[in-house]
Amino acid sequence: MSVKTIDRRTMLKGVGSISIGLPLLEEMIQPAVAATKDDVPIRAFNIFFGLGIPAPLQAEGFDDVLEPLKPLGEKLLIMRNVNQIRCDESGINAHYDGAAGAFTASAPDGEARAGGASIEQLVRHAHYPAGQPTGVVPTLVGGTFFRRSRVGRYIHSYNKDGTVAATIQEKPRDLFARVFGSVTLASGSKDARRRVLKQSVLDSVVDDFRFYTGANSPLGAKSKSRIADHLDRIREYEQRAFALDTDPNAPKRPRRSEIPHGGASDPGGQGIDITLEQLTTEWRLLADLYALSIQMDRVRFGSLTFLAAGERIRLTGEYEYDGKHRWSFDDARQQNASGDQGCSHEWWHKFNEAHMKMREVAYFLHQLNDKDSLEVNDRTIMENSMITISTESGDGRHNDVKRELSGVFHAITGANGRFKTGQIMDVGAEGIDVYNTMLGAMGVKDQLGSDDRDNQTIDQIRA
Amino acid sequence: VHRFFTVACLLTIFISDLQHTDAQDTVRVRGGLQVLYTFEAGQGYTVFDRSASDTTLNLKIANKDAVKWLDGALQVNSATTIKSAAPARKIIDFAKRTRGLTVEAWVNPANDRQDGPARMVTISGNTSRRNFTLGQDANYYDVRLRTTVTTTNGIPSTATPSGTATPRLTHVLFTRHADGTTRIFINGEQQATAQIKGDFGNWDDGFTLSLADEASGGRPWLGTLHLVAIYSRPLSTKEVTQNYTAGPGAKTGEMLAQRRHEQFFESKIAPLFAKNCLGCHGAASHKGMLNLARRTDAFKGGESGKVILAGKPNESLLIEHVISGDMPPEGPALTETEINDLQQWIKNGAVWTVDVIDQALYANNRPIEIWLQRLTISEYIGTVQQTIGVDIAEQATTLLPPDIRADGFSNTAYNLNVDLKHIETYAHLAEQIVQQVDVAKFAARFSKSRKLSTDDTMRDFVADMGGWILRGPLDDREISIYSGIATTIASTGGSYDEAVGLIIEAMIQSPRFIYRVEHQRGDGSAWPVNDYEMASRISYILWGTSPDQQLMQAAKDGRLQDATNVAAQVKRMLENPLAKIQSARFITEWLDLDRLENLQPDAKRFPAWNASLAQDMQRETVAFFQDIVWQQKRPLADLFNAQFTYATPRLAKFYGFALQTNSAENELQRYDLSDVPERGGFLTHASTLTVGGDDASMVTRGLFVLNDILRGAVNDPPPGLDTTPVPAKKGLSQRSIAEKRIANSACTGCHSKFEPLAFGLEQFNGIGVFNNHDEHGNKLRADGEILFPGTATAIKYKSASELMDLLANNKRVQETMTWKLTQFALGRPLTAADAQITNQIHTAAWANKGTYQDLITAILTSELVMLTRTQTE
Repeated sequence: MSVKTIDRRTMLKGVGSISIGLPLLEEMIQPAVAATKDDVPIRAFNIFFGLGIPAPLQAEGFDDVLEPLKPLGEKLLIMRNVNQIRCDESGINAHYDGAAGAFTASAPDGEARAGGASIEQLVRHAHYPAGQPTGVVPTLVGGTFFRRSRVGRYIHSYNKDGTVAATIQEKPRDLFARVFGSVTLASGSKDARRRVLKQSVLDSVVDDFRFYTGANSPLGAKSKSRIADHLDRIREYEQRAFALDTDPNAPKRPRRSEIPHGGASDPGGQGIDITLEQLTTEWRLLADLYALSIQMDRVRFGSLTFLAAGERIRLTGEYEYDGKHRWSFDDARQQNASGDQGCSHEWWHKFNEAHMKMREVAYFLHQLNDKDSLEVNDRTIMENSMITISTESGDGRHNDVKRELSGVFHAITGANGRFKTGQIMDVGAEGIDVYNTMLGAMGVKDQLGSDDRDNQTIDQIRA
Repeated sequence: VHRFFTVACLLTIFISDLQHTDAQDTVRVRGGLQVLYTFEAGQGYTVFDRSASDTTLNLKIANKDAVKWLDGALQVNSATTIKSAAPARKIIDFAKRTRGLTVEAWVNPANDRQDGPARMVTISGNTSRRNFTLGQDANYYDVRLRTTVTTTNGIPSTATPSGTATPRLTHVLFTRHADGTTRIFINGEQQATAQIKGDFGNWDDGFTLSLADEASGGRPWLGTLHLVAIYSRPLSTKEVTQNYTAGPGAKTGEMLAQRRHEQFFESKIAPLFAKNCLGCHGAASHKGMLNLARRTDAFKGGESGKVILAGKPNESLLIEHVISGDMPPEGPALTETEINDLQQWIKNGAVWTVDVIDQALYANNRPIEIWLQRLTISEYIGTVQQTIGVDIAEQATTLLPPDIRADGFSNTAYNLNVDLKHIETYAHLAEQIVQQVDVAKFAARFSKSRKLSTDDTMRDFVADMGGWILRGPLDDREISIYSGIATTIASTGGSYDEAVGLIIEAMIQSPRFIYRVEHQRGDGSAWPVNDYEMASRISYILWGTSPDQQLMQAAKDGRLQDATNVAAQVKRMLENPLAKIQSARFITEWLDLDRLENLQPDAKRFPAWNASLAQDMQRETVAFFQDIVWQQKRPLADLFNAQFTYATPRLAKFYGFALQTNSAENELQRYDLSDVPERGGFLTHASTLTVGGDDASMVTRGLFVLNDILRGAVNDPPPGLDTTPVPAKKGLSQRSIAEKRIANSACTGCHSKFEPLAFGLEQFNGIGVFNNHDEHGNKLRADGEILFPGTATAIKYKSASELMDLLANNKRVQETMTWKLTQFALGRPLTAADAQITNQIHTAAWANKGTYQDLITAILTSELVMLTRTQTE
């Protein structure tokens, strides 16, 4: 399959073998919130790809695995020699640790929790303390992945207390429904009286929930935050159920995904067989939908995952780039092994299959850099957003005995002129300092890490 | 022996109590103690609270000239207030929850004429407003206790007969049970009883605690105070006798100092050793012949002699080495604070509370976090069934997002978050549930009236129905919210049934239905959960669903603050099939049996594998567990070596068993394994053997046993290590690969701890088939050795069955079962702070037969369930 950027206007007519039948009419491309010329929304996204780019390969610039990013090079700052903190917890897998540290710069806190907030969530809270405009999904988390033993492997948006910021949408259809879907009343009734009564029920429920977030709540801080989340979701539900379900432009949802999801997508860490065609088709559909969500201003914050940390798939298929055949994937046969040992898990450390991952990451970025993504300041959404791209391991085989997560690949966009772009920079800094510098540039007062840490500002990345 | 209701800070004192059972007649009751005044100060204006709780309630003497300090007593010669500076919130809050109370005093009245009654012990505002008062009215004692059915002055009161109050040293004890029964004991003998119904919901939070006079003055009591104590629960007659026998002179100072030293060791020193020392100086690798994990060995010292000299930090080698930086030899040196802690600990006698420091306990230590628990999908389904009588399983399972497994279980509270899909589904399900219920019939359970008007009838109806659906009484706010729906219905011309239906819809989307809401705020210490919270804890832990009517009635009657009553409820509820279903959830989650639904072994290597077989394997382990637990009620340890199993004909053929006759394709049959020595116990089931993947990884299987069976800890592989699995080949079996790793000095420290654990399973391939040779023709063996965490010497075994026997009989393994079930019960990972109570649970359960029933009863009657740690914010 060759790389082919699919026009947003036609993408839903067919991506690969999937047709989702969305009549993408011009009038449908109405943002949820109208932006003024001076008001390009603050957005931040984390893009994660599993299994990393070995540090030596980063040194080759755009001539090797980074080649697919070259067309976007002027709008990216590629940072080499960014060292993540040692995230290892005893007994926990290093890939998981590294993934949990990506975008949070903190060690994981248990199997299903990060050590703290992810950077895009801090930006969200700083710029939208009272919540985002009506119709905007608070946080959208999506991903295509097949290793799910711990959520830190594939989720990359975390609240300040380290819990996941939103449920991940792994099926394109679910992600579509999460953003564009108009939830309906169970009865589906259009009857006005019935709707009034349902609203009354919901009002009562909201009133009750509100009490548990207030000053007289019997709950402790963590429980209150959970109830507050619940209340936010009810409000979103309310808004959708009672306001959007008559939208004549509501798009039809995409057809059902044809690759395994849920438990079936990860048979106990043993890996699944999947073709390159299946993988990229699924991913691109998800990437298209995610990008569309941003373009329509339904989403301003979140994360997108292309393969989990320590991913285990047995990939087959012919890999082409720029019209040329580059590689034949046949992991199990090439490694002469089955089960987890036949997976690309170990394989991808050793060769430059990272090229394919970069092709797919670039595919998503292109969606936010086309003519439909131009904003009122004549920059594209990609240029205006803070998009951070990273992974869970840098040096390939963790060869630095002192810093196993040294040289972790990072790339960021300009965030509306806040960061330098058009460079491949040897940053030579701690990831936490890079992240905190980014947060500072975004006007966020909160910082990652402990209060007594001596933070270093990495001025060289700022424009 | 169990005792309950102690606040967290007293939990370990309670242990001390148990350790002194041979002298129990001299030890005062500690459980539920809120304040204790023993008048030992001897001087000054302050009467110190010696209860040793996290928050003390000291009292100030207003007029020092009015009193005289005696040896362990305070003589009040003229009117003065002896009052707390702040409201007596901890007593008030606790009593509100428990609806029980005990007020005790050793006193010597100055005369038998003072009246009013003269206030001896009172929590009140003035002469006519109180929460309670213990007083003397001439020659008898009188207790005014305010409840929701008495006056604000606590009338009617409970009084002893005339002549019981005389100028002599007297033990006066008032106790009130949650069911309303009050009793007054004089010198250990019951002298009065009454029924004071109601609860303490109307107690004033702002009242202070006063001795010897009303808070506002004007009702002085004169005499000598020797001891005053208040408990947040009723004391039994036996306990009353115990306190009376203990006498007025119970000194607490020494005991408290000892306890502080013990806490210092547990909170500072043991974690410090675990983190910095035990890697080299532990049980397994005691370098320099020094084992700092075991108490006796630590004090014995090592090659250099004794390293800890109690009371002499400057002469202790341990201090010398850490100050010089010689120890620890690698990693960061101890901080100044840590060194100071060590010095302080040795100076104070090097108190050491455990036989062995459990390194695993501190491996991933973190503070206890309290999250409210959202109902899991199965809990939601069970609760709807229990409260509304509707089976919503199919829809709920299909529509609700799955609960994700975290820290080994999918009911881990911090991970039970919500998203839009939950909200939408709850709304849809609520409507479907109401559509399936006979609303009129359901409503009739709570009200005969069918009036839609929102008068008192409707409010009462909402209160009654809500109390059932939401698992506890509703307050006015809630009644107003849900009654409001009826107003809306009325205004649109709707019917009573329609209103009820929509009220139910709202209630089952409300926080108190979706979540297990409990009162979490307080002073940071552990408080008793209230009766309704306790009812929910019992039923969700035991059944995975909401309480039934009997349990709710017990809560209403205030019978769930008492461990004996709780145990009785548990015994009753264990007979219900729901308990069996919940136990199956536990074993499924512990062993991650749902994993089998998605396993896809290489079809070429394992052509026998198919989805039906995988399901049979899953069912085998659950059926085996159910047989041990429910049919035979055998000790849980037998799960490791019981010589029988269950199999369908398909699975029996796969295992190579002689097929039993007359069994249907999917029917499980019991197989006796007496003649199948290689199998027996769940670790020889294919369901768990598949954990090692296609290649039956020794590493993965060994780590499974280490982590999930032995509760052991092992460090990560070092950075830079190529962890690519080495494939077996002719002449190189998985065991020989493992043995090479173990022989490698760089690997042996960790791999020797877990890979030999899997040796006994070597003859089972990746999907659990027993073989004598692997696919490369290498001969397979089953002998090996096992090093139990905390021990120094590995134990050899010759076969899988010997390994299973070793596991079954090992205390560490049995403790792990306690830990796993306790974690599942609490819905959160356990921490070091839970260790002591968890060990009590274990001791209690294994003091009986060590059955599932014993264990779950011990858990439910433990302080981990009957108390909740409050939060100050």
